[in-house]
Amino acid sequence: MTEFEPKIVAFVCNWCTYAGADLTGTSRIKYAQNVKIIRFPCTGRIDFMLLLKAFGEGADGIIVSGCHPNDCHYTSGNFHARRRWIMFRGLLDLLGIDVRRIQYSWVSAAEGAKWADVVNTTVTAIRELGPYTDYAKVANYLEKEANV
Amino acid sequence: MNELIQKAKSLLESDTVQVVIGYGKGSADKTRAIFLTKPEDCDQLLFDSRCVQNLAVYLTKHEIKHLGKPAIVAPIPVLRSILQLAVENQLKESDLVILGVSPESKLIEFDSFGAIELFLNAYKIQIDEKYKATIDKIKAMPVSERFAFWIKELEPCFKCYACRAACPLCYCPKCTVENNQPQWIPAASHLLGNLEWHVMRAMHLAGRCTDCEACYNACPMGIPIHLLTKSMLQDVEEHFGPYGPSVGKRNTLSSFNPDDKESFIR
Amino acid sequence: MSKIGVFICHCGENISATVNCGKVAEVAGKLEGVAYSTDYKYMCSDPGQTIIKQMIKEKGLDGVVVAACSPRMHEPTFRKACSEAGLNPYLCEMANLREHCSWVHDKSDATTQKAIDIVRTLVEKVKHNKPLSTIKVPVTKKALVIGGGIAGIQASLDIANAGHQVVLVEKEPSIGGHMSQLSETFPTLDCSQCILTPRMVEVAQHPNITLMTYAELEKLDGFIGNFKATIRKKAKSIDEKLCTGCGLCTTKCPTKKIPSEFNEGLGFRTAIYVPFPQAVPNKPVIDKLNCQYYLKGKCKVCEKVCPTGAIRFDQEDELVELEVGAVVVATGFNIMTTSEFPEYGYGKYPDVITGLQFERLASASGPTLGEIRRPSDGKIPEKIVFIACAGSRDPAKGKPYCSKICCMYTAKHAMLYQHKVHHGESYVFYMDIRAAGKNYDEFTRRAIVEDKVNYLRGRVSKVYEENGKLIVKGVDTLLNAKPVEIEVDMVVLASAGVANPGSEELAQKMHISYDAYNFFSEAHPKLKPVETNTAGIYLAGACQAPKDIPETVAAASGAAAKVAILFSQNELSREPVVAVVNRSAPPLYSTCVGCFMCATACPYSAIGEEEIKDRKGNVIKKVAKVNPGLCQGCGTCVAFCRSKSIDLDGYTNEQMYSEVMALLNE
Repeated sequence: MTEFEPKIVAFVCNWCTYAGADLTGTSRIKYAQNVKIIRFPCTGRIDFMLLLKAFGEGADGIIVSGCHPNDCHYTSGNFHARRRWIMFRGLLDLLGIDVRRIQYSWVSAAEGAKWADVVNTTVTAIRELGPYTDYAKVANYLEKEANV
Repeated sequence: MNELIQKAKSLLESDTVQVVIGYGKGSADKTRAIFLTKPEDCDQLLFDSRCVQNLAVYLTKHEIKHLGKPAIVAPIPVLRSILQLAVENQLKESDLVILGVSPESKLIEFDSFGAIELFLNAYKIQIDEKYKATIDKIKAMPVSERFAFWIKELEPCFKCYACRAACPLCYCPKCTVENNQPQWIPAASHLLGNLEWHVMRAMHLAGRCTDCEACYNACPMGIPIHLLTKSMLQDVEEHFGPYGPSVGKRNTLSSFNPDDKESFIR
Repeated sequence: MSKIGVFICHCGENISATVNCGKVAEVAGKLEGVAYSTDYKYMCSDPGQTIIKQMIKEKGLDGVVVAACSPRMHEPTFRKACSEAGLNPYLCEMANLREHCSWVHDKSDATTQKAIDIVRTLVEKVKHNKPLSTIKVPVTKKALVIGGGIAGIQASLDIANAGHQVVLVEKEPSIGGHMSQLSETFPTLDCSQCILTPRMVEVAQHPNITLMTYAELEKLDGFIGNFKATIRKKAKSIDEKLCTGCGLCTTKCPTKKIPSEFNEGLGFRTAIYVPFPQAVPNKPVIDKLNCQYYLKGKCKVCEKVCPTGAIRFDQEDELVELEVGAVVVATGFNIMTTSEFPEYGYGKYPDVITGLQFERLASASGPTLGEIRRPSDGKIPEKIVFIACAGSRDPAKGKPYCSKICCMYTAKHAMLYQHKVHHGESYVFYMDIRAAGKNYDEFTRRAIVEDKVNYLRGRVSKVYEENGKLIVKGVDTLLNAKPVEIEVDMVVLASAGVANPGSEELAQKMHISYDAYNFFSEAHPKLKPVETNTAGIYLAGACQAPKDIPETVAAASGAAAKVAILFSQNELSREPVVAVVNRSAPPLYSTCVGCFMCATACPYSAIGEEEIKDRKGNVIKKVAKVNPGLCQGCGTCVAFCRSKSIDLDGYTNEQMYSEVMALLNE
């Protein structure tokens, strides 16, 4: 049996984490292939619904990453995002949507190595948690009905 | 009570307002919202412990706005909603006459939103201990069990949107669920769609909900959706300090503090 | 049906070494909506770009995905190429196969598969891209400089010398600011006024500079290139055209005992006054709060003696509206007063003074004509203590920051004292000597070594008066924390630099941000030190944080250069990545419900109100409106909008949604 390869989506801001991930590349630091990046201008732009949609479409894990506090290219987008994440995380936790599957991080444009580390530890963690079958059951509810 | 009826009459007679939004007798033993446009109808007004509907919801309804300037019978939950609507630029002081009703059923008139705020200082939003216990109990379940619990609770939802219609803060003319470019929420009432709808509804109320329970009272299936907003109210308080609508203050989620604390970001 | 072209770059071997580019191109070619796909060794080379241009024309492509390096590297290159081939540049996106894939993974099928996933995601995004055009904003080539200290003076002169009109507004009757109060300047000990006054005169005489003294900013509206400023010109009660500045009125004014602001309360001035002899403009104003005529309705001595009849008691404040394209804020700083130090006597001992007061005592134009004499009895102090970090670096005083200039000016004060009072003894209590700067450390060493100033490392816990002397109790931490008690004649506090009173209100008027200490905030602490978050408003000098003169002048010239860059073109071109509030069919007109949560969240105050009116002009509803001149495209508003009524061009809801869907659906 082959090892479970989790599908992980990364929502990152253009100015810090995207650039940080560029630096990971420039520095030729290797990391797991499971994570694919979607570029946003700012963490402030990341709609919480997109995270939910990602789980709905079969993501096993999510990384959300942007500029460190006080470093936001737009000065306060990450502060707004942080508040939203605090509230969103609390809600998901209450609902039993597994918050361990969402890794939030601050990765600056200079932290190429940190990005690789965030990716690798997230992949390891999600691998341990296994496929997100709970959510998949709900997401595939219609298909299952059709198959009955 | 008489006081309230007299006041409503005189407001209509003097044409200070064109409609009085209040509580009247409903079917069976229930009360319902009534909209009075004639002074002589004001005797229908009543107020007692059965009056739990949040009348503030009508202040932003197109159909009611057309009737003219309203006076509204406003017990504490309604007052909170009025204040929150004011924070969100949906109401101006000159837009309405507020017939406040104290917990002792006394008529209190407010000439400004500031006065409401001052009054409400004595009646801070407090989550009932029994709800706190329920929320704690749910939170204590293992994550899979919690998820299963909610999926089961949300399964009967058939997306009638009564929760939305009853909520004074759901006043958008076109809700995100009616958006199909992209289709954020599946229109059908299946498990995923139900879950996504209720997550979105709760998130949209984060830092805004004034805990009136109108959504729960309106739900024909008795789904405990008010637990979501109550839990979020607790979160707001825990992370960002005591919450209560305040004119001139920003909503919790459209503001920030550079020193906001969390423990989950790497 | 879209006709998208996908161009896979090998980047030499940088991508192709680990990713099977041919395979990626092959799979991409089969994606729905893709009309053409190919791979090439160097897509960014001339031949590579030619392939893209040719295919746009040949295949009539309506979208392009270049799968190569990071968009942060070559997005402008490929967008330009598309534009040259007649395709709107914003219909081109880049898939990052190098930094995010080939360089970080080993060669494998999984790596190639990831490359395919990335390409597919961007193809789906491009399907939802809209043609956008650069936003053009007209620029009014006139600058407003607020504050006439050395920062405002330098900025005004630089902008004016670049050939642009400048309006310099100063709230005091004269320009000059704190620098005009200083005796000598570190690290050279040259006379402050001698180097400053020529600049002041230059300002007054410059054909491109309009000077408004005794004036303040009342209101600022608009946005970069297009500000509307309202200036309140306070009534000076004189006709400036008639006044010759002869000064007769100031010598005859009967109210002579008003503490002089310029002399920091150590001297007096009259009610009609010129703040100091070298003032620019050198014409008096009447201080209405102290003038006998305004207070009691009687006097008018100045009017009687004025040879040109220039006194105007009935003059009123005047509001002037200006259209300007840029604003330089140079409102400077202030210092804590002695009254804020309970441990040093709450300001009740006249011989405990601030550093700025010491400047006036040491200045030849000051109340003692440059002799160091103590304020209480005019005696020359035989012993003197300087206390550095009075308030600064002291969280208990609410000022955890270093005021930066005090170490240097305290060394200067001690030197000036030793130069003027040869037999005198001076002591400096300090925490650290922070003398980083060109010739700065040499300067403080000179004070210690050549001028024999006694430096004691430690803090002063208390100062009190006894028998006409001041007792200074402190500790010398370098001598095993030995308590020290010195009996002296005068104490000088190097009190903390603080924001000017009213900074907060001023910042709010201009919609710029300020820090916890009410200093104005720069847009980026490293890379945008003179910009604010509000495009078109720049900072110069100590309104941002305590700064010394060279730093202030450098910042002012920096701000002026930013203004000159802005004014170098008639129109401002901006990336069209801005938020837009939607419009829909009646009766909605827009799904925006006007809660303005977006406006409160916007870091740039770019969101205002718009009234949607019917044909008769009746307001139907009020909705949010984004000013594309101010919006920087962060999209924070978009994620806030509950009804999805506001969207960000370039990163629309549809684009982001399709990316998520495509990424997860192979």
